[in-house]
Order: sequence, then structure tokens, then C-alpha cells
Amino acid sequence: MVARLGGLALVVLLFAGCAGGDETSGVELVFRHSRMPGQSDPLPGLLREFERDHPGVRVTHEPLPWTADVQHQFYVINLEGRTAGFDVLMLDVIWAPEFARAGWLLDLTDRWPVAERAEHFEATVAAAMLDGRVWAVPWVMNVGLLYYRRDLLDASGFAPPRSYDELASQARAVMERAGDRRLGGFVWQGRQYEGLVVNILEELWARGVELVGTDGRVLVDLDGAAAALGFRRRLLTDGISPSLVTGADEEQTRREFGAGRAVFLRNWPYALRLFESPTSAVRGRVGITALPGGGALGGAHLAINRATRHPELSWQLVRFLTTDRAQRAIADAVGLHPTRPRLLDPSLRSIFAAARPRPITPWYQTLSATIQPAFSAAITGVTPPREALVTARLQLEYFLGDQWQ
Amino acid sequence: MKVGAERRLAAVLLAPALAVLAGVTLYPLAQALVLSLERRVPVFGIDEFVGLRHYGFLLRDPAFANALHVTAVFTVVSVALEVVLGVAAALALATMRRWRAVAVALLLLPWCLPGVVTARMFEWLYYPTGWLGIPGRALPALIVADVWRTTPFLALFAYARLISIPPGIAEAAAVDGASRLATFRTITLPLLAPVLLTAALFRTLDALRAFDLMYVLTGGGPAATTETLTLYAYRHLFQTLQLGLGAAAAVLVLVVVTLVAWAHLHAVEASEART
Repeated sequence: MVARLGGLALVVLLFAGCAGGDETSGVELVFRHSRMPGQSDPLPGLLREFERDHPGVRVTHEPLPWTADVQHQFYVINLEGRTAGFDVLMLDVIWAPEFARAGWLLDLTDRWPVAERAEHFEATVAAAMLDGRVWAVPWVMNVGLLYYRRDLLDASGFAPPRSYDELASQARAVMERAGDRRLGGFVWQGRQYEGLVVNILEELWARGVELVGTDGRVLVDLDGAAAALGFRRRLLTDGISPSLVTGADEEQTRREFGAGRAVFLRNWPYALRLFESPTSAVRGRVGITALPGGGALGGAHLAINRATRHPELSWQLVRFLTTDRAQRAIADAVGLHPTRPRLLDPSLRSIFAAARPRPITPWYQTLSATIQPAFSAAITGVTPPREALVTARLQLEYFLGDQWQ
Repeated sequence: MKVGAERRLAAVLLAPALAVLAGVTLYPLAQALVLSLERRVPVFGIDEFVGLRHYGFLLRDPAFANALHVTAVFTVVSVALEVVLGVAAALALATMRRWRAVAVALLLLPWCLPGVVTARMFEWLYYPTGWLGIPGRALPALIVADVWRTTPFLALFAYARLISIPPGIAEAAAVDGASRLATFRTITLPLLAPVLLTAALFRTLDALRAFDLMYVLTGGGPAATTETLTLYAYRHLFQTLQLGLGAAAAVLVLVVVTLVAWAHLHAVEASEART
């Protein structure tokens, strides 16, 4: 079977070789990325510009599947097969260490000057590191932030909350004052998926608790983590967070807050544009602030497939797509934020500066997939938090053995 | 031709088919078995023999026990509902005089939709209720979606059998003074039983491998209350990339499916022996 596939591949390669020989135009670079949201995709324009500056080079860009899970699967299958089907690839911010450990990425440490790295938010560069080497360049940035109803907080004389406890008590007071049973307090992403891990991490950070310690051990502070989950559970049982939260993702919570049915919302920056659109029910009444303890870092990096036949050109493309100008064009066209503080709207700068990466480990995917059911069981009250965490820790110890770092 | 020669000829003639069958079923099965004895995370170049350790872990892992439980509940409840509703729909169809073809076409519609489309549709239906985030409601909500989607399959099987029962039998029973309920219980249902059991077997094997609805609607949540065995295996094969462990889970799924199919086939044989 393997031999036959090998034979087939050889035939394909031979034909590909012939076809390549007929072409006189030279090099083709392939760039894989996820689709840009909205109508005005700036990428084709940027890539044509790159082609003008590099005569003889053609860049084809191929969109990835829609969801991060399926994108990850696509990469694992193609990169593990060591096919050079693409040269430059977009990575979700949590994948760089895993892909680097797997040996799929080109080491960019020596190509990328240290001084230039310092232009980017520290968290974005940190997320691209493994074993002291750099494997990807920050491209677009996301950060979890707190949306609040400025009108409702003002009416009660509240300043934006600095801690989750304060947030809860403000939400309760505003809800009582409003006397509207449809008004929820705090909506966040509690569905069993990656978003839940992000929300709980933010709660942990606000309490000074780490999911993965500096020694690489996981869930060392069981009591701290259990307290964080217990707090989120109480938000639900006390009615401060509506019950829809345990099944909600970003869009569902965004719609809830956007319809005027919540005082606070944790979400990514994309929602701001929608809240300020002419048809929005909350237009002009929404404020944003940093989450207590900082928001989780999201966004994407660009990296180079180690199997590429054009490492230097690929690097040129990565540099071009991450320049000030390209980042600004992407921000203007589709609202994905740049990774350099100086390019960012000043009102967003301090919120973005507070961003923290999720645990930077090659095993992040395993960690997240294992801990999601535990977090979900704890916030829905199916399992006591501590018990859920102990189970998850035992599972992780089995999956990873002693190979955390 | 002598018996021995005939046997040899039969063996020769069957050999290609058997070889193909072995190639497409036994070979992957053997591969999965071998894989299940290894700790293999190809991404990080980890590949070591661990014997039966994965099976030991699975038997201890509360998440695996939970997946078994979820799968059992999902299968039993949804297949039972599908059989009952399917027979009801078939009876209703059989009594229709006009528009029967239209009704059959409409009935088939849910079954023709791709699973993911069905899932997205129910996502919007359930959105205002919040059920998909509530531990006691998510699984029933998925069962309803599955029943909606696959009842037509059962209905069609039952309907095909119903219209092949000569009307004379029921007429004779009526002449003898049997009530309609008695006719259904003593004549129609026994005649339907073998077909229903076969259809239910197909459905059971499908339900034991249920994946698409959960994958799209809940991702196994909340609190893993909708994580079926297949979803559990998927989580390890594609998310944690623990291929060995995922293979061990898949092997256990296969064992369960085989046992259920075997028990079911015996039930079918027994019911056919009775009729």
C-alpha cells in the first residue's frame, strides 16, 4: 500500500516536473490563511503588490477551512506528510510551539532582527517562541476585553469594574435598579470549547493562579483553580450570568449584549464595530475596558513551512505581509488589529498591552481538549470544581507522561 | 463433480472476494489493534510500545465510562422513538387515499438532508431555548434532532412491508370480528417485526457511531453530557493527537458494535423462526 502510494506520488512528481519545465515565469509561492471576515478582503491587493516588487514570482493564496479545529487538522495532516503544498502559512496564536516542536516550521530566529521583534506587543512574540527560538511573526492581534453598558453604569454611578467581584456586585445592583427580568448581568463564553478555556484562564489570571506553572506542571494550585470555577458557577446560580452562558460562544453572547439584554460582556474586539453600526440597539451606549487580570491573547501569526523550496522568498513575503503598511491595510479593511502598539488606536493600546498568552506549550491542544469538559462540568454544577480538576489532571498526566516542555 | 472438487472450485472462486474483504476490513483492523498497543504521538515523534496500558486507562477513565453511558442512552432512546414513530407514520401513509406520493416525498425530506445541515437548522431552533448548554437538556435535544432526521428511514421500511401484506388477511380478521387494535397486534405487527428489527439494527449501528449532530451542536458539552464514544475517540485521534489511545477507544467501540449487532441478528432470526 505504502509502496504503491509512493509510486503514485513519484509519477505525480514527474508530471509536475514536466509542467514546471514548460513554465518560464519562475517561482510560485503558496500562502495558506483563513478567510478574511467581511466584504473587502485586502489580501489580493497586497499580494499583487508583492508580485510587482518581485518580478517572476507568483503568489497564490488558498483559504483554509472555516473553523480553527478543522484548520488545525488540515495542517497536521499536510505538514506531517511533509508535503510542500504551501510555503507560508497562517497560524492561530496557540499553535506555534506545537508546530515548531513537530519540526514543521522554519526557524526564524536568525532572520528576524531582535530590534524589530521589540516593535510588537510582547505577548505576541512570546507566543511564537519555543526553546528560546522564534518560529513565527505576529500578523494580526486579538485580545479579550470587557464591554459594558456605559448608560446603565453611569445611571448607577459606577466606574468600570477592576475585579470580577466588583463586576458581579455592579451587575447585581444595575439589574435590581433596572427591574427588567430580561436584562442579564454578565455574559461570557461558557460552551464546552476553546472559548471556555480562554474565559476561565482570564478568571485564573485575575486571581494570580496559573494553569501551567513555570516548571511545566499543570494545575498545581488546585484550590485556586477550584475557587475560580466556583466563582463562575455562582455567577450562574445567583442569576448574574444568564443560563444561556453555559451553551454560548462568541456570537451568541455578542447578540445577547447587542440586543440590550446584558450589562457586561466578555468578547473580542470585533464586536465593537457591530455595536456601533447604525442598526444596533446599543449604539453609543457601549464602553470597553481591560478585563480584570488582563485578556487572553488571540490573533494569528505567519510562519514558513520547513519543507518549502523557497525559504528566502517566503521570508520576504512574511516580512511584507507584516509591515506597518500591510497591518494597517488589514486593520482598515476588515478590522483585525495590528500587533504593533504604535499602529493601534490609542484608546485600545492599554487594553491590548494587558493581553496575556495562553500557556505556551507544544501540548496546548491536548491541555485544552482535556480540560474543556472539566471546566464545563464545574460551571454547570455537574461535578464539584475540585473533583473535575483532579480528574483532568490525572488524564493529562497519562497523556503527557513527563513530557510537558 | 465430486464434492471435494466442488469445494475446491468454490474456494478458488471465492478467493478474490475474500481477499478484497480481508484487505479492506481485516488489514485496517489489525493496524488499529497494533496501534492501540502503542503510545504514538506522531507529531512529536513519540512511538513506544505500551502493551495493554491504554485499555487499562480507558477502563479507569471516567470520561470513557461517561461516553459509553451517553452512547447507550442516545442509541436506545432514539432508536425506540424512531421505530414507534416510523410505524405510526407508515400506518398513516397506508390509509391515505390521495396525495400519498406527495406525503412520501415530504416524509423523506429530513432524511435527505446532510447531517451538518440538519444540525445547523436545529442550532437555530434551539438557540432561544438555551437547551444545548444545559446538562439535562442537551442530550434530549440531540435525540429529538436525530429522531426527526431518521424516522423517515424506519417509516419507509415499515410502509414498504405494509403495502405488501395482502389486504385479504385484515379483511378476513374483520369478518371474524377482530377489532382494529387486535388486527394490528396479532397480524400487522408480527408481519412487520422482521423488517422493523432489520431496520432498527441499521439504525442502532448508526446511533452507536453517532457523531455529526454532537460535533456541530455541542462539541460533546455541556460537561461532556453529549460526548459519545465516537466523539471521545475523535478527541484523542484529532485533538490530543494520541493515536494509540484513540485507536484503543475505537477498538472498544468496534467490540461494542459487534456485540450489539450479533445480539440483534439473533433476535431477527428468532423472530423469523416464529413467523
